[in-house]
Amino acid sequence: MNRTNHYDFLGYVAFAIIILLGVPFLLGFDGFELNTFARYLALAMVAMALALSWGTAGLLNLGQAATFGIGSYVMAMHLKLAASTGNPGGMPDFMGWTNVEALPWFWQPFQSLSVTLLAGLLLPAAVAGLMAIFMFRGRITGVFVAIITLAFMVALQLVFIEEQRFTGGQNGLTGLAPLELPGWTVDTYSLPFYYLVAGCLIVALLVGMLVVRSKVGLVLRAIREDAARLRYLGYDVAAYETFVFCLSAAIAGWAGMLYTLVLEFASPTYMSVSFSLAIVIWCAVGGRESLVWASVGAILVNLAEGRLSDMFVEGWLLILGLLFIFFVIFLPRGLYGLAVAAMDRLRRSPRTEPPVPVKEG
Amino acid sequence: MKRRSFMKGLGATGSLAITGGLATPALLSGAGRAYAQGGELNVGLLFSLTGAVAVVERTLHDAALMAIEEINAAGGVAGMQLKTFIEDPASDPATYADRARRLVIRDNCVSVFGSYTSASRQAVLPVVEQRNNLYWYPTLYEGRECSRNVMYGGAVPNQQQQEFVPWLAENFGKRFFLIGNNYVYPREENNVCKMILAGLGGEAVHEEYVPLGHSDFSSVINRIRTEQPDVVFCTLVGDSDVAFARQYHAAGFDPETMPCASLTRSEVEVQAIGGEAAVGHFSSAPYFMGYQSPENEKFVQAYLSRYGADQVTHFVSEAAYFQVYQFKAAVEKLDPANITPTAIRDAAVGLTTMAPQGEVVIDANLHTHLWPKIARWKSDGQAEILVQSEARVAPDPYWAYEGETCTGEGLVRG
Repeated sequence: MNRTNHYDFLGYVAFAIIILLGVPFLLGFDGFELNTFARYLALAMVAMALALSWGTAGLLNLGQAATFGIGSYVMAMHLKLAASTGNPGGMPDFMGWTNVEALPWFWQPFQSLSVTLLAGLLLPAAVAGLMAIFMFRGRITGVFVAIITLAFMVALQLVFIEEQRFTGGQNGLTGLAPLELPGWTVDTYSLPFYYLVAGCLIVALLVGMLVVRSKVGLVLRAIREDAARLRYLGYDVAAYETFVFCLSAAIAGWAGMLYTLVLEFASPTYMSVSFSLAIVIWCAVGGRESLVWASVGAILVNLAEGRLSDMFVEGWLLILGLLFIFFVIFLPRGLYGLAVAAMDRLRRSPRTEPPVPVKEG
Repeated sequence: MKRRSFMKGLGATGSLAITGGLATPALLSGAGRAYAQGGELNVGLLFSLTGAVAVVERTLHDAALMAIEEINAAGGVAGMQLKTFIEDPASDPATYADRARRLVIRDNCVSVFGSYTSASRQAVLPVVEQRNNLYWYPTLYEGRECSRNVMYGGAVPNQQQQEFVPWLAENFGKRFFLIGNNYVYPREENNVCKMILAGLGGEAVHEEYVPLGHSDFSSVINRIRTEQPDVVFCTLVGDSDVAFARQYHAAGFDPETMPCASLTRSEVEVQAIGGEAAVGHFSSAPYFMGYQSPENEKFVQAYLSRYGADQVTHFVSEAAYFQVYQFKAAVEKLDPANITPTAIRDAAVGLTTMAPQGEVVIDANLHTHLWPKIARWKSDGQAEILVQSEARVAPDPYWAYEGETCTGEGLVRG
């Protein structure tokens, strides 16, 4: 392990320790208190997923919430079916009300837990993969990626709202059963549930970091800087882009599944433009160049939102908006950029000893 | 490159910031405290003050807050002052769920008053059910829900329609054109409407749903022109209803021969539509601002002097107001040492309260017996009440579903 990876790893470990021990300690290891924080962690996960494609490969996915929403609905479908076993035909209640005759074929696989868990990762990845193939084979880049992904998400949200018979429409999927894992009925207000979410975030971050630190990550960063040059060097740029896009979607879907568990319902608002833009803001605040910092950004913004809405019932949205404008103007690289600058200053300050030359690993 | 990577190690600093943000006492609270403490009783208000539905929800917030302050000024509830915790869920279901947790778990509220849309009520439902709290929901809704943790203050379909539809059929004819926004409430109301029509030998000549917020009705109006129905039965909400009413008027349809009959159009929408376009059309609801009763005069006067003479009261804000008084009456039946959300619920059943619309009663199924009224809109934006039901109408949230009944023990099948 070289030195850069070493420090990267240290930051990650510190983050993991805070999430696993620091936060629960401060909240007295109380499941009820930790429930809200579990929600922030699920959001941190989707922010980190966006940082993976945006920060690393420069692909700004404004429709990240679409894949998040798919994951969320996948989990909700499983839990809705579990809650509907007493109904005629095992059909969710809203289907009976909208005159659906029998459980549609695309609902049936979600009776199985393992299919659900797999689908929550693979379905978003497949959807993103399809989009990616069309976009990246066509060498679409930059702002056009943002527009296409945004448009796709708006269309997808519309489908979920309009197809009320199959999706619950505007209300989404509500009245869900608790998740039954082998030997464990998940109680969202329990300490183990918090650790489930925290564990998922830590694993997702690890996966992301391994990718970013690998050769693939290097190529992705090179694509971000100059895709044409990479192409001249013989790299299949579209394949790399598609890969990171799919991975990001799978992690977003994973986060969506957790989000449904925390809030106990799935809503089409999880695929809304405002939610998707919020993810971009979290990344921007934390710093899109670092996965850990993107997560930190999501957690901090949501904490701030919680605190501000507590203190200023009337004006909290406005204050939050001003904060975001401040970040975009003065800290375009987010808190991560701020930390880099601060560390830079520290290293150059006259008090410090001349740096010992470090051998490149 | 090297230095930048090195700095990634600074994830730790950010984590410290998280810890800093958390280490404030407000987030740390103990659960399981007694509800009545130090002569105070905590209640939550959960209405959106910002976002898409804020225009309506703010009036509900205002009405409920006014009731709370009236009660406090008159000595409180059983000698206890109501301490109000106000949250703004910003019209977003996930935020509703989050703020409901805050009110119920952290702020130890014995009841929460809130919500306008079904989506937000259902977002709050898991929280209040899990914590066995009590959620006072003032809005008319589609029925088909039977939670033991929600007090439903608004009308369900049978209360709005069982007199309205036959009355329309008798006065205008039996060919109805159904138009609504595409979500659960309009679809459910239309299901009920079609059942009643079928019983009368009438028919729904066409049924159409437009997305929420939709505002271009030219194709719908063309369709109405070709169908020439007797009644346009309208369950559009908010901006859609306003746009539709204006375009309907502009299309030159005569309310004398082809009126719009709405379940959702209140003084708020009519104010936005304008008297000229709204005049002559009908609404069915348990309350209208122009209803003559001493209680209503007092309510309207207090509301207008507090929030401005340009404001209106309407059938949801009225329920937001009287539900606080229902809450008060229920708490007063209890031993102060023994005030819990479930005790309040049990005490509330069978309770009669004098509301602006008349004397209302809470059913064992936690819905409310109401006084449905049929009204015609006037050009000054007020409703002229034409028909008032002779007796209170009992709520039957599963009216359209044979074999399902909402009872005091929850939903019963068979």
